[in-house]
Amino acid sequence: MVWFYLERIFGYWPVLLKGMGMTIGLSLLSLVIGVAIGFGFGIIRAGRNRWAARALGLYIDFFRATPFLVQVFIVFFILPQVGIELSAFAAGVVALSNMAACFIGEIVAAGLKAVPPGQSEAALASGMTRAQQMRLVVMPQAVRIITPSLVGQFVLLIKDSSVVSAIGLLDLTRSGWLIVQSVPNGLLVFGIVGVGYFIICYPLIHLSRRLERRGQAAFL
Amino acid sequence: MIEFSGVNKWFGSLHVLRDISLTVARGEVVVVCGPSGSGKSTLIRCINGLEPFQSGRLLVDGTDLADRKALLRLRTEVGFVFQSFNLYPHKTALENVTLAPIHVRRLSRAQAEERGRALLEKVGLADKMDSYPHQLSGGQQQRVAIARSLCMQPKIMLFDEPTSALDPEMINEVLDVMVGLAREGMTMMVVTHEMGFARKVADRVIFMDRGAIVETAPPETFFTAPAHARTRDFLSKILHQ
Repeated sequence: MVWFYLERIFGYWPVLLKGMGMTIGLSLLSLVIGVAIGFGFGIIRAGRNRWAARALGLYIDFFRATPFLVQVFIVFFILPQVGIELSAFAAGVVALSNMAACFIGEIVAAGLKAVPPGQSEAALASGMTRAQQMRLVVMPQAVRIITPSLVGQFVLLIKDSSVVSAIGLLDLTRSGWLIVQSVPNGLLVFGIVGVGYFIICYPLIHLSRRLERRGQAAFL
Repeated sequence: MIEFSGVNKWFGSLHVLRDISLTVARGEVVVVCGPSGSGKSTLIRCINGLEPFQSGRLLVDGTDLADRKALLRLRTEVGFVFQSFNLYPHKTALENVTLAPIHVRRLSRAQAEERGRALLEKVGLADKMDSYPHQLSGGQQQRVAIARSLCMQPKIMLFDEPTSALDPEMINEVLDVMVGLAREGMTMMVVTHEMGFARKVADRVIFMDRGAIVETAPPETFFTAPAHARTRDFLSKILHQ
């Protein structure tokens, strides 16, 4: 019986593959955008402009404190009412990269604050501008500190991307929903879907662990 | 070269610099000493704008410190050596030394490296060019830090307790470099308790207490016949410890 179901599930391999492709594509795109905006957020959060840091902090906390599913609904159902019409894919990318930017922003800010103040003083004393000090001295050190947590955040992003199946995107999770309608064995179907996520995420988890070990060895 | 007139600074309600007036001429070596919390580090940190002050006037190499726009240019002319070295841990010794010359002075990499190598040789680190700071001893790190400042070809060098974080056996290797620099005619202000260094090369020694300059004298007078009771008290503590 199990073999019969397995055979039928794998008969749907084009759907599964398509779903996996969507999950990877959606995550990757949101990752790139989220990292770019997240670093900007981090610089403002750790920056000297107190009010900008506080205002941004409130924005970030809002998205850290609300369920991602709710955020997806806001982007997909509520934005059109104020005239911003987005496709399901665009809505997914907006919601995911926004959430990633918020979490990454806090990670980057923590990394920037962990670089000893003597470093920026040394850079300033040699006549560097604030931008040079950030680019040449502080940020490279912060990046080393935060790389393991950043990779960990990427894993969370990939898993959270499953939520966008709720607005109809055919990602890995949704391909499971489709298949389970004709193959009535949820355990098997979603077991296979789970393995799909595992295949994407496990190497990243390993990478994060390796980077963490290497990070501890650096600067000693 | 450096001219304080009536400079005052407060940290909140704490009056850390009281009515400082002081002139340092080109080529002069001035040692600043005093108990901890007397404001001596704050004093020299004002000179390159690392600390703002609230009243008075400070001219450095003809530039008014109140002019925040001129500050960047001024900092390229003033070298600063920190107590805790503050080398860039992600850069090799040579990269530490050449970073600002390349990005601030806009030298070519080749020019900067030529200058950097010569300076690292001068401070006795010819064999450590490609070492990272964590591979160097404290004394070696501080010598790299001095070379890093010199690579900008500054007109003034400031030292903030450069040997206080070092093990005793490494103090002299750093002081020797500083003595050499003083003898070449560099304008220097040095916050230190190394009285041997003060005797050897200082033109003047300044004693600070509670944010004010208490006494200024040439080293021979300062050590043999200090005018103020507080100076005598301080000297007896650090010379007979």
